[in-house]
Amino acid sequence: MKLAKPATRRTGKPEVTAPGAKKPAGVAPGAKKAAPSTAKAPRAPRSPRAKPEPPPVVVEVTSLRKKYGSTVAVDDIDLTVRRGSMFGVVGPNGAGKTTTLSMITGLLRPDSGTVLVAGSDVWRDPIAAKRVTGVLPDRMRLFDRLTGAQLLYYCGMLHGLDRSTASSRTEDLGVALGIEGSLNRPVRDYSIGMVKKISLAAAMIHSPRVLVLDEPFESVDPVSTSQAIDLLQRYTASGGTVLLSSHNMALVERVCDSVAVIVDGSVLAVGTLDEVRGKQSLEERFVELAGGRVAVEGLEWLTTFSD
Amino acid sequence: MVDHILRLKLALLGSAFRGAASAVRALLVLVLAGGVGTALILLAREVQVDRADHRAALIIVASAIALGTVVAPLSAGLGSALEPRRFAAFPVPRGQLALGLMLAGVIGIPGALAVTLGIAFEIAWADTDKAGLAILAGVVGAILLVMASQYLVAVTAQLAVSSAAVRMITTAARLTIALALGAAAMAVVLVQSGEDTEGLVEVASVVAATPLGFLWAAPGGVDAEIAWRLFGGAVAVAALVAAWPWVVSRIVEAPQRIRSAPAIRGLGWFDLVPATASAAIAARSLLYWTRDARYRAVIIALPVAPALMMVALALAGAPVPLLWLIPVPVFALFLGWFSHNDVAYDHSAMWMHVAAPLRGFSDRWGRVVPPLLIGTPLILLASPLAALWSEVPDVYPAVVGTGLGLLLTGLGVSSVSSALTPYPAARPGAGPWDQPPLIGAAAGWVQSFTLLAILAFMSPSLTLAVMGLLDEDPEMLELAGWAGGATGFGMLVLGILIGGFVFRRRAPELLGLLMRT
Repeated sequence: MKLAKPATRRTGKPEVTAPGAKKPAGVAPGAKKAAPSTAKAPRAPRSPRAKPEPPPVVVEVTSLRKKYGSTVAVDDIDLTVRRGSMFGVVGPNGAGKTTTLSMITGLLRPDSGTVLVAGSDVWRDPIAAKRVTGVLPDRMRLFDRLTGAQLLYYCGMLHGLDRSTASSRTEDLGVALGIEGSLNRPVRDYSIGMVKKISLAAAMIHSPRVLVLDEPFESVDPVSTSQAIDLLQRYTASGGTVLLSSHNMALVERVCDSVAVIVDGSVLAVGTLDEVRGKQSLEERFVELAGGRVAVEGLEWLTTFSD
Repeated sequence: MVDHILRLKLALLGSAFRGAASAVRALLVLVLAGGVGTALILLAREVQVDRADHRAALIIVASAIALGTVVAPLSAGLGSALEPRRFAAFPVPRGQLALGLMLAGVIGIPGALAVTLGIAFEIAWADTDKAGLAILAGVVGAILLVMASQYLVAVTAQLAVSSAAVRMITTAARLTIALALGAAAMAVVLVQSGEDTEGLVEVASVVAATPLGFLWAAPGGVDAEIAWRLFGGAVAVAALVAAWPWVVSRIVEAPQRIRSAPAIRGLGWFDLVPATASAAIAARSLLYWTRDARYRAVIIALPVAPALMMVALALAGAPVPLLWLIPVPVFALFLGWFSHNDVAYDHSAMWMHVAAPLRGFSDRWGRVVPPLLIGTPLILLASPLAALWSEVPDVYPAVVGTGLGLLLTGLGVSSVSSALTPYPAARPGAGPWDQPPLIGAAAGWVQSFTLLAILAFMSPSLTLAVMGLLDEDPEMLELAGWAGGATGFGMLVLGILIGGFVFRRRAPELLGLLMRT
């Protein structure tokens, strides 16, 4: 996977808290001497009590608001996404997930609030922020008269890649997502699942630091989904960051390490997966947060069969 | 079996009158055809075949109507066309199928028009010593028409493998009919005005050499010529009739052509342009101009507008040579103006440009390239011809200058307006004449305002050109040309800069606007 390689070189292994490693360099010898007693943790450079420093924040959303007429779609949302994490945004239909993600990617102007992506303000310095962001929006068209290969090349050009990089990454992504056989067909002939896959490839072709994916696995078959998840996990392992939204709780539970539950435009719960779900499954916790199961009343006629 | 096919044809014709909307359409077509037929008969009685210009007009009108009649079945959209493959699933003997289809071709409006044309041709030549020959030519001509039409339907039905292809064929057929009728009307008008009959005779001699006018020119020739023209017509009819059963059985037996999307090797236009964002946008835009029906319709329609203007003004009595000054500027004006709503054609696919770290300048410049590539060579090639035909001395610099100026100014104005005020357009994949579900009043304002803005920016050059024409002042004409070119260049650069700035500022709002439509 050529895509992942440069990132690996650039950032090292995040789970070793690469950025934190520099600081305690001077302490390391002392720590090493103390190490033999705690032989099982030779990598922990600092005293056992100090928590490892968390990876740096890559996406920072502060009091984001958006109103459509009199309805508040997004109401004062704060989100913090750290490097190397797979962050899931979940919520019922119409909760404001797509609106939030669109404002993070620069596709929709917020009424107020700020979005920082890798230190750049999306709405003050859009070019810098967009250079490091990969986007997969939900329910937007593609230039579907282009072939898959043309579309990926086009996307690469828009992001300033050179010809040979764009072409070789097109091939790599085609193989990784299992669409290499369809790259020479027009995108308009693709099935919905294939459109999602080519969109994911288009989002990744410029090897962004952050991927913002709106419903990336909707109508994608299980085989392709796990293929895509493999790709994303390799991406985060090498220092990339993924922010995705989904309705599929089981899937979010499987792939995400952090979750935010958005209901009616507000964040009701946010944190690591374990913090949010507690001892329940994510789905149970989600239904509880989203207002619980409403007892079905009325509809008695449905239980009296007509024959 | 043959009578079954004929009955089917009658039922199909009857079905055109079912339902209010289609009945109105069928009536309109019927009125048009009836009008053409009546006009043919009435005009035929006026023809004096001893006059060269009348003979020439007769050849031109007959050929034009013949052309229109041959393509007429295609203009209905092939939906109810009786073509051989439709019978492939039924156990119809091939010979009977071929005979039935041939006879069915006579029934209906095209068949009636072919017969009317033959009759009108005979009326024109009646009371001369060549009346008998004319009857022969008319009969052979009418049969030839019906047969050629059958072949055309059978062949195009094999080409019409996708709905886009059907729309293209229908559009082309309708345009052909309109042009044919226009040409016939123009020939009649020219003969009645009595001007420029030499040109008419010249055109007629060209047409007479083509298969279209081959037979219609027969009675007007001398003995040997008459003989081989009639003989050629008879041979053609015999060949078409003889080959028909074979063609029918071939089409019925051959496997159906399905649109198999050809695997495209390489990246097409993208391989030919530099690896930059603006070049990629230009390549993508060019690909849409050449492949998307919405753009292609414009490319087809653009030459028609000036042609119609010329015909209308010629009918109104304007001096014909001077009218040749019209096509280049009008074409340039509309080509430049067409881009004024370009982003709306992308619909929500525009998100790719918004989400990328793209300079507004790149987006604007990329979109301007296709019309520039199409328009500039055409203007450069057509201007000398137009200047020559207009018979105005020293008008060339003014024609080419105002033409380029109108195109470039139009593109500059469009660069700004498509970033500032897009309005709903037909969606991607829609047919060329499909309208968007919702057009506000804004569309009309934007359309007229951009058109007026282009003309206003170009008014100095255009005024100079008109003054130069009236005073016959070559210096003024040359000045108009330079002024036009300079205005165009300046407006294009300015438009792309301002448009790029507006695009960058408003990109998210633009996307929102496009998604709402």
